[in-house]
Amino acid sequence: MCAEHKVIKTLLWDFHVKELNASMGEFGGWEVPMIYTGIMKEHMIVRTDCGIFDVSHMGRIKVTGPDVIPFLQKIYTKDISKTKDYWMSGPTLALNEHARVKDDEMPYKISDEEWLIIANAPYREKMLKHYDKVIKENGFKVKVEDLTFKLAMIAVQGPKTVEVFEKMGAGWVDDLHTLQFRMNEEIVGKKVFLISRSGWTGEDGFEIWAEPKAMVEIYRALLKAGAKPVGTVCRDTLRIEMGFVLGGHEYEEDPTKFPPANSLRYGMGAIDWDKHGFIGEEALRAYRREGVRWIRVGIRMRKKHARAILRFGYPLYIEDQYAGWVTSGTYSPYLKRSVGQAYIDARYAIFGDFVEVEIRGKRYEGRILDFPLIPGRPVVK
Amino acid sequence: MSVVEFEVAGKKYLAKTDVRYTKTDEWAKKEDNKVREGITDYAQKELKDIVGIELPEVGAEVKKGEVIGALESVKATADLYAAVSGKVVEVNERLLEEPELLNKDPYGEGWILVIEMADPKEFDELLTPEAYVEMHKKAGH
Repeated sequence: MCAEHKVIKTLLWDFHVKELNASMGEFGGWEVPMIYTGIMKEHMIVRTDCGIFDVSHMGRIKVTGPDVIPFLQKIYTKDISKTKDYWMSGPTLALNEHARVKDDEMPYKISDEEWLIIANAPYREKMLKHYDKVIKENGFKVKVEDLTFKLAMIAVQGPKTVEVFEKMGAGWVDDLHTLQFRMNEEIVGKKVFLISRSGWTGEDGFEIWAEPKAMVEIYRALLKAGAKPVGTVCRDTLRIEMGFVLGGHEYEEDPTKFPPANSLRYGMGAIDWDKHGFIGEEALRAYRREGVRWIRVGIRMRKKHARAILRFGYPLYIEDQYAGWVTSGTYSPYLKRSVGQAYIDARYAIFGDFVEVEIRGKRYEGRILDFPLIPGRPVVK
Repeated sequence: MSVVEFEVAGKKYLAKTDVRYTKTDEWAKKEDNKVREGITDYAQKELKDIVGIELPEVGAEVKKGEVIGALESVKATADLYAAVSGKVVEVNERLLEEPELLNKDPYGEGWILVIEMADPKEFDELLTPEAYVEMHKKAGH
């Protein structure tokens, strides 16, 4: 019996289709709102105003028990033991034995024995299996509960976000520091399971978890207060500007197709070299000792090639030498320039210098840059 | 200059009645021995935000059905095909700075190129507006 390719509708599907006129599409096995008013328009709403993303497709997983901390220390590259109650640890990587990334995830600490994890939608099922395997193999006393289908999740992002919440009578959100969260609060009289000051856009903003019915009311209130719906496509263009990574582009498990996590240069303190005993540690340290062949960099195309769009796999050249490949690309309406991310041969990774990208047989120059590609971000409160 | 609206899979598209069409969603308008070409409303709606375009060189000799350029949307690159054989005599350079015109006004200011026909009979082989609409209705998308 072959597996049927079933697509799951986001919990807020009816609302998007019937009330918000969203153009829906598939991502990671889910049918999600892709575009509402236009990709470039929505991108700029997030950078200058306040946009609401439905991110209910992301995995929301609860892990409880006396061995949660040793369990998380085993699967993640980051030392999460220093995380305080009601704080997120910061993003981290779960590696496989070849030091390739299985998923980049965000742990949330409620207490020593109660944590939450955000996993990427395409990898949720894979990671749930991975957690079970690690728990069994190590005899960890940990219980895993998938909350993904119980709670919807939205991300409200942009410089005007706090204003919007103030208009709704929820100005208290401004008391949260970035990566801090609260549980069981109320917004417009609706119960909020969790609200955190966080996001994946580089802007100030909050992420809210709530039951679908309550979420629709909160969403409506946000719209009334001036926030605008923004889709999943502009999530990609925004994260490329910031230098955030996406599974399938900058990382994947296959060691024949993707470099090790060292090359990823994930940043944000995702790897703690002082920590020992995590899965993939041996390979990761070996690569660190030997040095890596590739490193991930940003590329900003020359002004005369402002609209030469980069796509996954396009080869890079320097003085006719093959120097790497593009992993992601888009047009940045903020910079009015084609930008992207790429793996470049570490020997040729001279920041500030130029590299040629081959697009349909012709070569176009871009500058090698570090992240973020846009100024003034990430916004941290 | 009349316009016909057609619906496929719940979405509405516009087609002009005074031009011909390719199977690859380009429109072609006869101007004496030349053909002005662009992409249809259906094409621009499928591509969504068009952020770049690769135009052929003026003077290039092209063959009907050949890939002569590319349209860059946020998510994908789409090939641009020649509606007829001949020589490219004009390209809309404005699109290099304002590719949004392809979305906003695909039949008007978003015109892409002009080909001087090598064989005027080829124009008559292109799809009529009715045949173009029928093609999409039959395909169901």
